[in-house]
Amino acid sequence: MADTTLPANALMPLLDKSFRLAFPFLVALAVGAAILLIIGENPFDVYALMAQESFGSLRRSSATLSAATPLLFTSVATAICFRTGVFNVGVEGAFVLGGISAAFVGFTLPVYFGSAIIPLAFAFAALVGAAWLYIPGLLLARYKVDEVVSTLMLNFVAFGISGYLVNGPLLSRESGNNVTPLVHEIAQLPRLLPPSTLHAGFIVGLLVVAAYALWVKRTPSGFESALVGFSQRFARAVGISIPATIILVMVLSGLVAGLGGGSHALGQLHRFADGFSPGFGFTGMAVALLARNSPLGIIFGSILFGALASSGTTVQLFSDIPLDLVNIIEGTVMIFAVVELGRITLFRRSVRS
Amino acid sequence: MIADQLIAAAITMTTPILLAAMGGLVNRQAGIVNIGLEGKMLVGAFTAVVVSSITDGWLPAVLCAALAGSLVGLLFSLVITRANANMIVAGLGLNVLIAGVLGFVLNWYFDASGTLRLPDVTLLPHVLPSTVSSIPVVGRTLENLEPLTIFAWLSVAALPFLLANTRLGLWIRVSGNAPQVARAMGLPGKNVQDFSTAFAGFFAGLGGAHLALASIGLFNEGLTAGRGFIALAAFYFGRDKPVATAMVCLLFGFLDATQIRMQTAGLPPKLIGTIPYLLVLIALCIVGWRASRKESPS
Repeated sequence: MADTTLPANALMPLLDKSFRLAFPFLVALAVGAAILLIIGENPFDVYALMAQESFGSLRRSSATLSAATPLLFTSVATAICFRTGVFNVGVEGAFVLGGISAAFVGFTLPVYFGSAIIPLAFAFAALVGAAWLYIPGLLLARYKVDEVVSTLMLNFVAFGISGYLVNGPLLSRESGNNVTPLVHEIAQLPRLLPPSTLHAGFIVGLLVVAAYALWVKRTPSGFESALVGFSQRFARAVGISIPATIILVMVLSGLVAGLGGGSHALGQLHRFADGFSPGFGFTGMAVALLARNSPLGIIFGSILFGALASSGTTVQLFSDIPLDLVNIIEGTVMIFAVVELGRITLFRRSVRS
Repeated sequence: MIADQLIAAAITMTTPILLAAMGGLVNRQAGIVNIGLEGKMLVGAFTAVVVSSITDGWLPAVLCAALAGSLVGLLFSLVITRANANMIVAGLGLNVLIAGVLGFVLNWYFDASGTLRLPDVTLLPHVLPSTVSSIPVVGRTLENLEPLTIFAWLSVAALPFLLANTRLGLWIRVSGNAPQVARAMGLPGKNVQDFSTAFAGFFAGLGGAHLALASIGLFNEGLTAGRGFIALAAFYFGRDKPVATAMVCLLFGFLDATQIRMQTAGLPPKLIGTIPYLLVLIALCIVGWRASRKESPS
């Protein structure tokens, strides 16, 4: 086609790209604004209040980062699989099992292990998470068992197992219902800015994102898995083993999700409790989708959703706007992140021949 | 006496799963895996309670619940068929969105957190006279029988015929199983898919209405408790065949009903609750294993 109207300056494609990246979130904000208008609130005021509540002071910012911490892990875990074309929705389950595993190590190992308990707990959490997602990985690679259904089902199994453990064998004797004992003080992750709950898990999360970026950009397996996601036929033709790649990304995803659960257990709650994860796995999915699996985008997205979560609570307290607004925004982001943006771009470019 | 109660409880527990599964099954036959059943059931339950309270009648409540479910289903379908959204992510997103919207409305309009109790909620009527309760074994089941359970089982009986012998049924199957054939024949494939998703929403809405109006008469944010996913498990396990799926639903309903009794017998209910999901995994493995053996006979 001859009518390719190339953008006049170099800034336009960049603008266009960032618009397309931000599009799902903009739609979600618009939906949220419409709802706020219906109930007679000024959306700009509410959003301004939310922004102030999430970043207005050091204390508020650290609360936001604290809320973003588990999302760093779950979104990386999701992105690892999504970029390979594996629809793993089982991050939530691996996160929960990682949490209970880390908590178990944290209160079971004798105190004289000292701070060595922390890496041990993390290692066990990662191991359990990896083993957990190895199951659907193997089933998909060997028997072509649909990974969406298997991971979805495994989530419920994970909830059942952890719910059983926390109400049975691992139930705390002192604290009543649905919680395990607290992990030893030496096994708790240090707080970074003491009054807030921001803990060293955030650093671990950033390291995980960095490792993910390295894997994506600098390792053969990271490149191969992207090829598999791009086209399985092409990948097979150039000699990449599809089953091995599927199992690898599933195990990596479980490992990261398990670490995330461990960080949440050791750093945030200091134990495992019923309702350990209010859907971090699914919010992580929204983040990964919004970020289009890019490492930098994952950090931004996690902080964004962390901000929503941490400011939502205070907004509910001060202005009578239900916290559920956050869920509405999250759900809208998920839906519109997968809507094909075919014709929705700022600058029309007819590249298609 | 115990058998009596158990059967009655199992039948009641089966109905919502069965309704949702029948809808989801038709939807999957048309090529759409409906992860959003859970959300649509929740919409149905909410609508049923509100309408039942306003109109003081169960029939308008049930109809509105079904319509609300199909409306959500239709919108969901348009996102998938017209905007090419990935159906899995969109379905999960829909569940989050619906939970958010309902929670928001509950909080803001009804000033309730989590549970909605309204005055004058009419429950589903029992169709048979109470004298049937004297019949041994199934007496209690018959006494509890309400219209939605009857409808659910009638649909199980009718669906195999409708899918195999009506034009619409064949259209649904062809647009799911052989989209290229549907296109070659000039069928409105996307419209058929939209219809099937609305149909699934209709049934999921009914399932939600049953959950809310069968006995408790109130709405709770956690009312569906994963039943939409159990329904998904059921039609995967039943391989999209209505009768087989219904049997699986019955099994799941029975497990649901025995959970409380298992607890007194010392078995952990949380672990019992995972059985449906494990069964599906096993079934999927067997299917996959068989297929892989057929591929490479050695």
